[in-house]
Amino acid sequence: MANLVIMPRQGQSVESCIITAWQKKVGDAVKEGDILFSYETDKSAFDEPAQTSGVLLHTFAAEGDVVDCLAPVCIIGNEGEDISALLAGTSANAEKPAGAPASGEPAKAAPAEEKEVAPAAAPEATASEGGRLFISPRAKNLALRTGVDMTAVTPTGPHGRIIERDVNAALDAGKVGTTAAVEDFLRGIVPEKREEEAVSAAPAAAPAAAADTYAYEEIPMSNVRRVIAKSMHASLSEMAQLTLNAAFDATRLLAYRKLLKEKGEEMGLSKVTINDMILFAVGRILPKFPDINANLVDGKLRRFAHANVGCAVDTDRGLLVPVVTCAEKKTLAEVSADAKRLAAGAREGRLSPDEMSGGSFTVTNLGSLGVESFTPVINPPQTAILGVCCTVNRLRADGTVYPAMGLSLTFDHRAVDGAPAAKFLKELATALESFDLLLAK
Amino acid sequence: MPKSQYVDPGKVFQPGYAEFEKIPLCTYNKTIKDEKANYSKADFLRIYHDMRTIREFETMLNEIKVKSEYRGVEYHNPGPAHLSIGQEASAVGQAYCLDINDFTFGSHRSHGEILAKGLSSINKLTDDELYSIMKEFLGGVILGVVEKNFKTDSVKELAKDFLLYGALAEIFARKTGFNRGLGGSMHAFFIPFGIFPNNAIVGGSAPIALGAALYKRSNGKPGIVVANSGDGALGRGPVLESLNFAAMDQITKLWGMDGKYSDKGMPILFNVFNNFYGMGGQTMGETMGYGNPARLAAGFSPTQLHAEKVNGYDPLAVIEATTRKRDLLLRGEGPALLEVATYRVSGHSPSDSSTYRTAEEIEAWREACPIKAYREKLVKARVATNAEFDAIDEAIIERMTSVIKLAINDEISPRMDLSKEPDMISSIMFSNRHVKSMDETRTPETLIPKEENPRVKQIAGKSRFAFDAEGKPVPKMKVFGIRDGIFEAILDKFYEDPTTIAYGEDNRDWGGAFAVYRGLTEALPYHRFFNAPISESAIVGSSVGYAMAGGRAIVELMYADFIGCAGDEIFNQLSKWQSMSAGILKMPVVLRVSVGSKYGAQHSQDWTALTAHIPGLKVCFPATPYDAKGLMNQALNGTDPVVFFESQRIYDMGEQFHEGGVPTDYYEVDFGDPDVKREGKDVTILSIGAVLYRALDAAKILEEKYGVSAEIIDARSIVPFNYEKVIESVKKTGKIIIVGDAVDRNSVMRDMASNIAEMAFDYLDAPPVVFGSRNWITPAFELEKYYFPQAEGIVDVISEKLLPLPGRVPTYNETEIEHIERSAHGV
Repeated sequence: MANLVIMPRQGQSVESCIITAWQKKVGDAVKEGDILFSYETDKSAFDEPAQTSGVLLHTFAAEGDVVDCLAPVCIIGNEGEDISALLAGTSANAEKPAGAPASGEPAKAAPAEEKEVAPAAAPEATASEGGRLFISPRAKNLALRTGVDMTAVTPTGPHGRIIERDVNAALDAGKVGTTAAVEDFLRGIVPEKREEEAVSAAPAAAPAAAADTYAYEEIPMSNVRRVIAKSMHASLSEMAQLTLNAAFDATRLLAYRKLLKEKGEEMGLSKVTINDMILFAVGRILPKFPDINANLVDGKLRRFAHANVGCAVDTDRGLLVPVVTCAEKKTLAEVSADAKRLAAGAREGRLSPDEMSGGSFTVTNLGSLGVESFTPVINPPQTAILGVCCTVNRLRADGTVYPAMGLSLTFDHRAVDGAPAAKFLKELATALESFDLLLAK
Repeated sequence: MPKSQYVDPGKVFQPGYAEFEKIPLCTYNKTIKDEKANYSKADFLRIYHDMRTIREFETMLNEIKVKSEYRGVEYHNPGPAHLSIGQEASAVGQAYCLDINDFTFGSHRSHGEILAKGLSSINKLTDDELYSIMKEFLGGVILGVVEKNFKTDSVKELAKDFLLYGALAEIFARKTGFNRGLGGSMHAFFIPFGIFPNNAIVGGSAPIALGAALYKRSNGKPGIVVANSGDGALGRGPVLESLNFAAMDQITKLWGMDGKYSDKGMPILFNVFNNFYGMGGQTMGETMGYGNPARLAAGFSPTQLHAEKVNGYDPLAVIEATTRKRDLLLRGEGPALLEVATYRVSGHSPSDSSTYRTAEEIEAWREACPIKAYREKLVKARVATNAEFDAIDEAIIERMTSVIKLAINDEISPRMDLSKEPDMISSIMFSNRHVKSMDETRTPETLIPKEENPRVKQIAGKSRFAFDAEGKPVPKMKVFGIRDGIFEAILDKFYEDPTTIAYGEDNRDWGGAFAVYRGLTEALPYHRFFNAPISESAIVGSSVGYAMAGGRAIVELMYADFIGCAGDEIFNQLSKWQSMSAGILKMPVVLRVSVGSKYGAQHSQDWTALTAHIPGLKVCFPATPYDAKGLMNQALNGTDPVVFFESQRIYDMGEQFHEGGVPTDYYEVDFGDPDVKREGKDVTILSIGAVLYRALDAAKILEEKYGVSAEIIDARSIVPFNYEKVIESVKKTGKIIIVGDAVDRNSVMRDMASNIAEMAFDYLDAPPVVFGSRNWITPAFELEKYYFPQAEGIVDVISEKLLPLPGRVPTYNETEIEHIERSAHGV
């Protein structure tokens, strides 16, 4: 009995995933537990193990294809088994199997004379097949002109082609992004073409120059990158952001860190970082500032009951922001452990989307890279973000030197005014200056 | 089917014998001495001169073809050269007795005929007439070249240079040729001398010459028409059709209308140059069974077409026989047929190695050379001395050498420069003139005043709009239909242009098989409106000749399916003569073709694609009375050949679109201008012909069931076609389906779809799609809905290929997979 393997849904907000690699080819024997294919969501990468043993009989998507969650990805069964029933049942989703043998061709449409004529095929959920985007020239022009949010466009044209009415439907629903995002989307789906253009354009434009003078490699944006781009651009274009800079005397903080490092091994605290300590402090202070521990969505401020502090993690695939939940209740050890686990998960692409959503505030740290002050960009729809900078030595009035650590708070002036934001920053700085006292609270 | 002629069963079966007269074979037996009474020395020598000129002209062409050199002049001519060396006496003998008003039409071996008629005309015209002809022709370009390069005081000598140079420059495709080099060797002619086109299609000239004779006959013009052909052409249907058409009884029995009009026979001489070979096939003895071409004529009419055979190697015998034929044609006893036995010693073309005949045979004929024999006879009869003949020879050779030098000089005789003037040929594909009457000096001959016409009275009682004041449809019997629109335009033209004639099968009395012509019988004498034999080649071919000669013709093929029967006449003759003549000839011909339905595979085809494929034809297919009348008015007012498609499904359709209905007054609908019949915004339907009404039904379904608003554009005409309106519509809707009743493959619809895809790609939301008939035979009426596009099918295709309609359950399988499958099977 052949089995359909479907694309798992990884988190409530995920609608589709991209197949990054097939680990098995059609015709390969598959044992239960063997990895069939790897895929990624906007934010994470996964491997899909086989649930049954058999032979990989058919694939519905090729590497690089976007597949809807719960849509069929492949069929595992016995060698030579008749899978036409399974294919017929899924024909609406993918007409042409990518790289599949001819036996997998969908059944021919019924002739007109037969009574049972299927209604016009349900529009395919995806406009791409074999990595190609199907969009009419007219729909494409409209998308570029209006900057529609292409991820919100559902194709309803013949063969899953995006046609004008699909773009209009998204526009009517208010799904507007930017023209640049549309271009990126179109380019991302059809990378080969752009590369050809790039290669052929350079020598034609400057035949006298050395062949590689203007050569460049064009890398399509990854899903993660595209999400970051969209989110950051939306952040800057839609919010009224401004940044306050302050510094605090980090003498006691650093001293406490030193103590942990030296004496904390037995208690498992030797790996606590400055950043963990700041997350801890932020977690304690945030509940007092409900407008900062909030999201601004559709003109309404969502004040969170808990301090769910996102911590920005730099990964190979781009910036990811896993969330330390309920930080206000957690001990420094717990915050530290959470942050470590989440950071490692983010770097390895192993986090579930749910672990990377729901943040009420974000902390980003460039201090280890020597940045003295910066303007962090708010992670929408949050209302503020704290940037942590490096320490610099400053002179006290009595001439002694102390380590001053910079804090850069960007807030959304739509949600928060300057005074409460400054108060938050001030209180946070005070708390960090007396970190040992804070621990006692 | 005139009622005046009773088909009597009592007489039909009476026993007896059909009798034939003897056909004279080479009965001429006069000597030079006898003929001295008829010819002066100058006449005798002129005959020699003309034959010798033709011989030298063709010898020169042969040398150029074979050796790329003639008397030291080097040239390479890649074009054809079908020579007639040996046949000079036949050509000169014929032309000698023809008047300037007599027209000749050539075969495709016609250099000799052209030069002979030209030289004869030069002799007959006065110096003033000659000079003014040369000066006016093509703005005096050829005369300019000749005057500058040949110094002579004699207009006649200048005219000979003009003739030889114009013909040779034409053969060499020079812009200074008689037809600017667009006709070439097989299509050279010079109308002012009465030299009408020769033809690269064997037998192609016969129906055209017939048409020119019809023009003379119907318009009372002087002179006769000579249809020259070879013996090989007698195997061709159009030639046999033309012989029959010319000899039909009605011309002498009915056209006189009891003494009111002329009852003369057709003034045409079918002149067969029997050189015994159609290329290589030997007619007498191999490919024909007629024994003698002259015998063939005997069956066509009791007059046996006055057929006889004459010795074509004796110019005086040819003159004597041709003169007799001409005289009887002028008396009204035509048509006539003359077999001129002759022989070409040259090959069919320079590549001919004469594998089909022996060297002895050729040598024997070379020995019998008509020029040599004639000269010897004249010397012997002391008409002239050898020295005099030698002097003539020398002058001809000298003239020929000068002419070729001039004709190959690229500066004096340039070819068309299509890089500098890229529109040269485009500009002559159509004449695009508006000429109300082809002869404003005459009053049209009609039988009754227009307003007394019974059809006109009947139409006056009809509603000129399809709906009454309350918007209810007017009953079919009371509404002004498409057939009325066409009739009105044609009737008006008959009362405006005296040259206008109409004919076809069952036109008179019956009123046309679909009643378009009801009322014309009462209005027009026979010679303007008559029933043609069932001879589609002759019907269309004669219209070409009628127009060439200066008239306007409306001819009809009862069904579009019969286009194949008149294939050459439509595809090679009607379409090409305006441009092959470099715009000198005009072709005001409207060819009406009716697209059937309910009549199965050979009577129901929309063949617009066949005619639209051929450059030089205008093609239209109106679907409303307003458009039908307006397009017919413009077609009849124009000077270009128009193939006018009509649909039998909708002859009685009233006008539903034009506000105020169909005007009674004159108006035109422009060719090339498609018409928006219904405005919409979501999808464009471009319809060709009668399918318009099914497209309207489809639009209704789309609107009512799916909320989709369809715009419908009626193509109206196919050639020319201005895409601007269509592109404008596609910019709005992004989607277009092209529908028509023609079979899908290679249809006009496919052509349009491809053009629209190119012109409006960036605006398209889906590829332009085509919905025509299946690539089948047309099945019986009861099955037609599976074949011709229907409203539901149009909606299905839109849902399948342009705009999926939610919940649509298709009736027709128009999927892409099905399309691929059908193509793979050729259906």
